[in-house]
Amino acid sequence: MNPFAKRIKPQDNWVIPVSILGVVLGIMFTSAWVTQQNRPTRLGLTDPSQEQRIALGPIDLQQKNAQLAQEVARLRDEKTRLENSVATQTGSSKLLNQELQAAKEFACLTDVEGPGVVVTLRDSQKPVTEYVQDQIIHDGDVLRVVNELWNAGANAISVNNNRVAPTTAIRCVGSTILVNNTPVASPIAVRAIGDPATLLGALNLPGGVLSEIRSTDPAMVQIDTVSEMTISAFTGSTQMKFSKVPPVTGKLSP
Amino acid sequence: MILIPILAVLIGVIIGLLMHHPFTGNLGQYLAVGCLAGLDTVCGGIRSGYEGKFHTDIFVSGFITNLVIAISMAWLGDRIYIDLYQAVALVLGWRIFTNLSLIRRSILNQWRDARERRRQEELAKQSRASSANLGDPASN
Repeated sequence: MNPFAKRIKPQDNWVIPVSILGVVLGIMFTSAWVTQQNRPTRLGLTDPSQEQRIALGPIDLQQKNAQLAQEVARLRDEKTRLENSVATQTGSSKLLNQELQAAKEFACLTDVEGPGVVVTLRDSQKPVTEYVQDQIIHDGDVLRVVNELWNAGANAISVNNNRVAPTTAIRCVGSTILVNNTPVASPIAVRAIGDPATLLGALNLPGGVLSEIRSTDPAMVQIDTVSEMTISAFTGSTQMKFSKVPPVTGKLSP
Repeated sequence: MILIPILAVLIGVIIGLLMHHPFTGNLGQYLAVGCLAGLDTVCGGIRSGYEGKFHTDIFVSGFITNLVIAISMAWLGDRIYIDLYQAVALVLGWRIFTNLSLIRRSILNQWRDARERRRQEELAKQSRASSANLGDPASN
């Protein structure tokens, strides 16, 4: 009657129930598995130690992010090229394009070149003392250096090749400093394009941002002036989800 | 025989992938704890099967109650701010290890017994053949 009944020996009666619940177990595992979709909602629910381990994400994710960033940079270059080629025809479109390119430069969407300084911050190599917290570079140190550089008239800043754009956040998760949500580690190179002498003066102000770090270990800070360097474009998202530009009212002037 | 439940789990994984509905947030965490309970029960079922002590009703009820207990302990821990899910993970991990080692032992024993039996049969056959040869002088 039951074709399977004859083949199954009495001592193997466990196979079918175990297999049925095995299917259920497989479904449960795939539902509980952490994927791209549910990862953000579950990351906060882990232990701090585990969060630190998985915060960097799987290697392939990093590679994919790097690939996508390259792709974004390539497409934005292509866009600039197309805008330029469209605008060569008439005076007004040329003017519009000039304004567009200036706005893009201001929004950190283009590579920029120029003279400037490179500030390298690294964790202290000295033996660990009781002030170990002062011997490592924190997100706050990077943030203060960037702030000081903006204040001294820098035009463009990058932190370990992550362009500091209008939406950039510099913070830490666990023991990792994140810039644009990309982990960076010591040594951290802050590049700034601007007048080298002014930038250098601002960084070396007595009682300034670097004096506290230098008082712990002068080797933690290194400043080089560069006569020519390139800072690459911001490759993050530029979508504005919540803000919109209000419509312009009023008459056009003749 | 051990291959069939493993195959079944893989089928479940494929079905789960086709459903394409990973659980989010707290629900996912609780289900992950439940997965440990499920894995432990399935391993236990295989083990008792090999030991010849399998009962479907005990197995199925064990699957469901272990699941419920594991999830509700994790939930309770979150309500009273104690990491009770760690206790669940510890105990279930322990049991999964024990069950898997007993399954391995059973499989190896079965395999060794079968080999031993074959050897005995071979010997018996040989001795029968030689005694038949001795007892039958016409064959010489």
